[in-house]
Amino acid sequence: MFELSPEEYIAMMLSLKISLWSVGITLIPGVYIGWLLARYDFIGKSLVDGILHLPLVLPPVVTGYILLLALGRQGLVGKWLYQQFDITLAFNWKGAVLATALMSFPLMVRSIRLSISAIDIQLEQAARSLGASSINCFFSITLPLAIPGIITGSILAFARSLGEFGATITFVGNIEGETRTLPLAIYSYIQMPGGEGSAQRLLIISVIIALAALLFSGFIEQRIAPWLRGK
Amino acid sequence: MLSVDLQLQQGSFTLNSKFSLENSVTGLFGLSGSGKSTLLSLIAGLKQPDNGWIRLNGKYLYCQSKNIKLPANKRKVGVVFQDNQLFPHLTVMQNLAYGYNRTDNSRRRFEAAEIIDLLEISHLLAKRPSQLSGGEKQRIALGRALLASPQLLLLDEPLASLDKGLKEQILPFLKRVKDELKLPMVYVSHSIEEILHLTDHLLVINKGEILGCGLFYDVIKAKNVQDIVGAMGLENTITANIINNDTKLGYSIAEIKGHTLFLPLANKLSKGDSCYISIRSNEIAIAKHHIAHISIQNQIKGTIISYTKQTSGISLNIDIGTTLIVDITSKAFSELELKQGSEVYCLIKAQSFSFLGKAG
Repeated sequence: MFELSPEEYIAMMLSLKISLWSVGITLIPGVYIGWLLARYDFIGKSLVDGILHLPLVLPPVVTGYILLLALGRQGLVGKWLYQQFDITLAFNWKGAVLATALMSFPLMVRSIRLSISAIDIQLEQAARSLGASSINCFFSITLPLAIPGIITGSILAFARSLGEFGATITFVGNIEGETRTLPLAIYSYIQMPGGEGSAQRLLIISVIIALAALLFSGFIEQRIAPWLRGK
Repeated sequence: MLSVDLQLQQGSFTLNSKFSLENSVTGLFGLSGSGKSTLLSLIAGLKQPDNGWIRLNGKYLYCQSKNIKLPANKRKVGVVFQDNQLFPHLTVMQNLAYGYNRTDNSRRRFEAAEIIDLLEISHLLAKRPSQLSGGEKQRIALGRALLASPQLLLLDEPLASLDKGLKEQILPFLKRVKDELKLPMVYVSHSIEEILHLTDHLLVINKGEILGCGLFYDVIKAKNVQDIVGAMGLENTITANIINNDTKLGYSIAEIKGHTLFLPLANKLSKGDSCYISIRSNEIAIAKHHIAHISIQNQIKGTIISYTKQTSGISLNIDIGTTLIVDITSKAFSELELKQGSEVYCLIKAQSFSFLGKAG
């Protein structure tokens, strides 16, 4: 009764692949920038913060168009990447990863930054006075205590990546098997006569994946966070 | 041992502190906002000063002009915070081992077993900090700092968040650390009783400036600290000798400057002990004659040597062998027709005295 056609299955797997890659490439920069924003005051901090949050407030199409202008084959950076390294980002799945990463990055950083801000700075000071270098202190104290925030941030970013539409379609198009993710596929099926069945199946898949991510996030909240606090 | 000359401007707060400590344990005393914690952070390297230097055992930890800025982890200065700051994701044992594991073998001064024994924490090792009581947490925090083998231990109001009963449980452990480990300590507190329990060497800080450094009694009698001393209710601090404890009726008899005083029972002191007691200036009443049949236990004869008008009334300086400050209303002052040279009796209820600690 509930069987996906090969095209639908491909769209689902592509969505998962792109979203996981997107979380994968933003995780380390996300932790680093979240930590920087939580713990340090530097000149231009509000500007960095503003630019970081730009994808959250700009129309996604605009973000996608900026990417196309910069990283398209004829774009400033895109041309150089192609000539020097033979890398093309526009109109393939790697470009889709980049677009979704950019769109979900603010959510990831926000969550990590909040969780690091919530760690009492005196814990880090205690670690320093006990002989830990700042890097050692980060890995032994800050990072473990920020894990719930990092996981929550990753899940939020993952969910946001699954839903990414505007920037993706503008930057990498709607190519089946390459850049046609779940939302793009649903949109395409709705446009197509007789595509309602496929659209609705993918709708159900979308709801299931999103719900699973949220439930997992709740589970983490309930289990890991208290465990870290030793309860 | 520790010499410091530091300047720091932080918003409207200015710290300009210069002092040198030779004694093993020094109490750092000041009102809240006086810069006590900031000073500790600067010594520990958790905060950077604008200018100056810090020298510990002949070595610079920080020197602006020589461009020496040892990071906190290289200073070997231990810190015990008010809120213990145990690492919540680690067990008690892992907390204790945190500094120990980050100390070179050759530099280790204490072994875990020794400290665990001293602080009586062996039954807590497998627990998490959240499973401990406030007093237990503070003992672990102390042990953790000690196991990093510091050359100097800074204690930032370690007992402030504990209730009175717990304080009295922890104080003996601090005293043990002082007596058995011979570790130099700077003990920050706004409770003079706590400080006197450990040491009678005192450093007084106010608005970022060191006002006095030396023996408790000398420091608090200095002119420039009288505002702080008054705010703390220590304006009349006297050394008394215990003559007798009457446990049945619940009082102690003490002697000060030839006067016999009745005090609340000092069950921690014994006959012959010398102690500091204090009485607030507004808790002393004045009479022109000795009064019979009165519940007030102490009537001390003295002479008014001077008086000053305050906004709230008159402040008298009365010589009873030592100077006693007594605050009365202007009305009382004129009704009793007091003047310089008047002979008066200072009326003090036994319960109005508080014991600060053992002297000497």
